[in-house]
Amino acid sequence: MELWNHCENPYPFVPNEVLDQAESVRASLPNKYCDPKIAAQLYDEIFDEYRLCDDIGINIVTNEHHSGINNLWAASPVITGVVARLTRKVRILSLGTLVTVRPDPVRVAEEYATIDVLSKGRLEIGFVKSGATEMVSGDANPMRIREREWEAIDLIEKSLVTQDGPFSWEGKFFIHPHVNIWPRPYQQPRPEFWAATSDLPTCAELGRRNIVNTLLFGGYDRTRQAFDAYKQARTEAKMPAPGEDRFSYMAFAYVGDTDEEGMRIGQKIAWFLTVSIKSSPQFSKFQPGAVAPEMAPAAWRSGASRRPRPTNLDAEVLIGQGQMFAGNADTVARQIREFRTRVGGICHIIMMTRQGLVTHAEAEASFTRAAKYVLPQLQDLPPIDTDETAWHARRAADAAQ
Amino acid sequence: MNVAGIDLEVLRRAGLGGAPPILLLHGIDTIRPEAPFLDGLAELGEVIAPSHPGFGKSPRPEDFDTVYDLVHLYLSVLDAIPAERVRMIGFSFGGWVAAELAAAGHRKLDRLVLVDPVGIKLGGREERDIAHFFNTSPDELNCRAWHDPTKRPANCYGLGWHSAIGDAMSDDDMIRLARGWDALCLYGWRPHMFNPQLKQWLHRISAPTLALWGASDGIVTPEYGRAYAGLIPGARFDMMDAAGHHPELEQPAAFIERVRGFFQDGHP
Repeated sequence: MELWNHCENPYPFVPNEVLDQAESVRASLPNKYCDPKIAAQLYDEIFDEYRLCDDIGINIVTNEHHSGINNLWAASPVITGVVARLTRKVRILSLGTLVTVRPDPVRVAEEYATIDVLSKGRLEIGFVKSGATEMVSGDANPMRIREREWEAIDLIEKSLVTQDGPFSWEGKFFIHPHVNIWPRPYQQPRPEFWAATSDLPTCAELGRRNIVNTLLFGGYDRTRQAFDAYKQARTEAKMPAPGEDRFSYMAFAYVGDTDEEGMRIGQKIAWFLTVSIKSSPQFSKFQPGAVAPEMAPAAWRSGASRRPRPTNLDAEVLIGQGQMFAGNADTVARQIREFRTRVGGICHIIMMTRQGLVTHAEAEASFTRAAKYVLPQLQDLPPIDTDETAWHARRAADAAQ
Repeated sequence: MNVAGIDLEVLRRAGLGGAPPILLLHGIDTIRPEAPFLDGLAELGEVIAPSHPGFGKSPRPEDFDTVYDLVHLYLSVLDAIPAERVRMIGFSFGGWVAAELAAAGHRKLDRLVLVDPVGIKLGGREERDIAHFFNTSPDELNCRAWHDPTKRPANCYGLGWHSAIGDAMSDDDMIRLARGWDALCLYGWRPHMFNPQLKQWLHRISAPTLALWGASDGIVTPEYGRAYAGLIPGARFDMMDAAGHHPELEQPAAFIERVRGFFQDGHP
């Protein structure tokens, strides 16, 4: 298995009274509340964490969000380009730039090809559909984003692999009559593709395309169902069964010196859920496309949004749901191994550790322990026992009833 | 009604024999059977109120997703209506479509009424002419769209409809509003509710035109309306007190009185 460090570079320094009064902490919170000197310090600290990860063998994930306290990575290709020059060894995954918001996928392809060359072939390219406040801050129509995302992926892929261009693209969403990127990617024919989704039809399509499927905080059952959809689609298409390297999972993670420390600091990561996703209804449940019309009565009456705020964020509960790995190194390794068994096999664990009020020193300590004590316990694992995975699934289904 | 291979849900209200039928192009929501202006309007002519594709029970064909499509659809609807003259009233978003259609021109178009229409850009690049339908909070939309939100007629919705969600709103109404909200977004998200080119072609509208405006409209202001009307040759601008973005719902009697006067005068 491989471990990855994903930090969203949050900005948890806006006064609570401001956050309490704001209808949304994304899209509409004025940037006067972001002190650029503090931001500069955050960039320094997190890039130092990336350098540490490069030294100790933990891969790096970047992403982007806009106009909010949750994320200061305004452009994943920019940040990934910096990481490419700061590091020498580890893999770098951009997960990703928001292709449903970017007007020209060809430029995205060219930026990624540049990073792949800069990093001498260490780039992995991830796609996320995004939505909600990103549609607002990017002025992108929230309708049809799934179709737009797939067309963008197709155009990016063709831009990366075509070596005898220019070629022309006149699609439903993107028009580019003269595509010919320079440089072409370092890896041939192109860097690996990843995508983050739990939508089952999309997971199936990822399976048919052999794209790495990442789940974000999906917990045991949703993750297993997503991976099953991926595998099933390949079976139906008479394609070879996927290896565990096709599956990835992002969880909150903190490796402490002791279980107590792991739990205590892990608890601080929950800021991501308690504070950073606060969003006004027009940016969430009432945004066009947020829920299928036939689901609107249930969603609107219950007040549920597409990203409901969890009611119980106790670290133990999050661990029990498979959304957090926390404790001492042995505990975390055991939690990850159990997760692997229950979801039917997985190769990539993406740790969201530097989140909320977790400090630079705390993050570095966790990464160091993860590399030294957890990662060795995740190597040379026995093949997945499908009977055991099925037993866990039945048990979960019974419990749900 | 099936026009150009597209099925349309149509609400009809039989009207005065001999008068030209009245085609209604709805705005945020379809024209509801309970709409308080329907009976009065039917006294002026048969009312024909289709639901735009994606609204109500009208399906939306896969690649039907622009105002361009709506304009050509309603040109075809005008072709299909078995009358030599047709009067058209467009509300809010439907007013934009009606203005586009009238600028394109159709021989049957006899009178045009635009009720608080959106559709053009008038102010500077840092001035917002049209309150953002989708990015504004439901409560603010509700305040901007109505002179008195508490007097919204039952089962009729306009901007700020989210604030009416509660036990009194049926599941069917919610599903209809959700469908329409999605379709409206598809048609009008960007540029938000206007066509940058339309302003320079409004002079081609040859049908006598009345622009009716709610004096309290906080979505598109009466100043915007006055300027809009000023771009249409000979258009009359009239304002209705104690009404916001949906004067036909807030002041139905005054609305009918003005439309009747316009239709009977025959000349703006």
